[in-house]
Amino acid sequence: MGDGTGAQSIGASVAEAPARNAPGHVPSWAWGLLKALIPWAVIIAIWELAAASGWSGSVLFPPPSAFLSYAIESDFRVGFGGDAMPIPVAIVVSALRVLAGLAIGFAAALVTGILISASGAFSDMVMPLVRGLAPIAPIAWIPLGIVLFGIGNPTAIFVVFMGVYFILTISTVAAVKAVDQRLIKTARSFGASRAQVWTRVIFPAVLPQVFTMLRINFFAAWMAVLAAEMVGVKNGLGMMIILGREMFNTKLILLGMCMVGATGYAVDALLVQIQRKILWWQPAP
Amino acid sequence: MKTGSTTLACQHVGKLWSGLNGTSVAALRDIEMTVESGEFVAILGPSGCGKSTLLELIAGLEPLSSGRITLDGKPVLGPAPGVVMVFQDHSLFPWLSVKDNVGFGLAMKKVPKPAREARVAQLLERVRLTKFANHRPHQLSGGMKQRVAIARALVESPDFIMMDEPFAALDFQTRVLMQHFLLEVWLEFKPTIIFVTHHIDEAVLLADRVVVMSAGPGRIIEEMRIDLPRPRRMTDPGFNDYRARLTETLEREVMRAHSEDEGLASNAA
Repeated sequence: MGDGTGAQSIGASVAEAPARNAPGHVPSWAWGLLKALIPWAVIIAIWELAAASGWSGSVLFPPPSAFLSYAIESDFRVGFGGDAMPIPVAIVVSALRVLAGLAIGFAAALVTGILISASGAFSDMVMPLVRGLAPIAPIAWIPLGIVLFGIGNPTAIFVVFMGVYFILTISTVAAVKAVDQRLIKTARSFGASRAQVWTRVIFPAVLPQVFTMLRINFFAAWMAVLAAEMVGVKNGLGMMIILGREMFNTKLILLGMCMVGATGYAVDALLVQIQRKILWWQPAP
Repeated sequence: MKTGSTTLACQHVGKLWSGLNGTSVAALRDIEMTVESGEFVAILGPSGCGKSTLLELIAGLEPLSSGRITLDGKPVLGPAPGVVMVFQDHSLFPWLSVKDNVGFGLAMKKVPKPAREARVAQLLERVRLTKFANHRPHQLSGGMKQRVAIARALVESPDFIMMDEPFAALDFQTRVLMQHFLLEVWLEFKPTIIFVTHHIDEAVLLADRVVVMSAGPGRIIEEMRIDLPRPRRMTDPGFNDYRARLTETLEREVMRAHSEDEGLASNAA
């Protein structure tokens, strides 16, 4: 994942150099894409070869040609009867759950982190709570979420929220401490009030760092959503995998895993784009 | 503004920084200084002599530990209108466009947008950055950034501009251009400027008066009026005289501080 985005950004910066766009040259983004695809091609080729020559069981461990065509065979639907769900819907449902949880967690953490930084008394009371709750893995909140919210979207969003909220709050507090004092002093010398220093300087200054933490914690949140879908919430990509297990359908399991990887990659790429567009003043790592 | 009358007065100004385990470090001791309206004063001194701290005290960004600072007779208790600060690293807000950076002070005072934009356009024209109004700071060169910082400082026609080594991070060529630019702006707007630097040439080139500070704790050890006609050039015959005298003073001070340090070290051993 990290390599993929790295190759993209290197490709983009090289593409800006006019000399490289001379006729006869392969465009550098094409090279970047090619380099990103080679490892995939090698792995898939070995896998297909192994399956075709009977080294690996094509039933227990079907190759991509088998489980990808299974999606077409099953008309892009999984499950039976009324419970059947189109695969695109499963993808969208899972992605929206994680995005909703991330957005709520991000906004709440910024507010909490800024309140903690602004008030010593609030910090003394709330920081120990935050630091005590932050180490709890997102997945560990699933049983409590099911007890509190039942089976459905609120549980999935709750799990993502709990998974990112505390860690992003700590990150916001650290980012506020690290704001360049000269920016604050400059603002004050230009007549900014205390409130304006918070809203016009500290808030925009901490956004990039907290957003980067959001990206880092996205993967844990994504895993938590899938785990929640596997154990309780009755739809989404997680359910697709667990359904495959229950039906001893390895094609469905592998298809689900494939979708999980692709969707996670796409959401992360979306976060990178948001970071580039809105938080341009610090390059996305 | 009346030129020639005392505007800034520092009396017995001292500043202690609290250090670890309750100890405190004296950054400034017994600073006596007056500055006249429209004067260009350079503060020269080795690194760590507290010259930046003195600027922040005058700008009302840090509280005094002792003594008194008055601006036009009124004691400084916090950031005062008409006093602005320009830092070495230009300190532009990276998330704002060039024009929003320049208009920052006006926006803080809720000046209506049309008036703000007119004034910002005027200043950008003056610093020759009109074409870059919508650029972001990271898209500009070092000299351009510093010009934006100067435009931002001038936007409210301040009486006082504090500059903390504003050109220290620039290459030689850009620095020379910026020094000339600053003088032009100063002659045009006639603010009072206090300019901190550790470059002797820069101080002699720009200032009406040079104040030399010593290190640890910062004290004023010498004041020198620069009686050279403007525009000055570093190759003027009189220039060398001032340069030599200031170099001697600074060298003596640096050696003294160094031998004191060594003395402390050998006592400790």
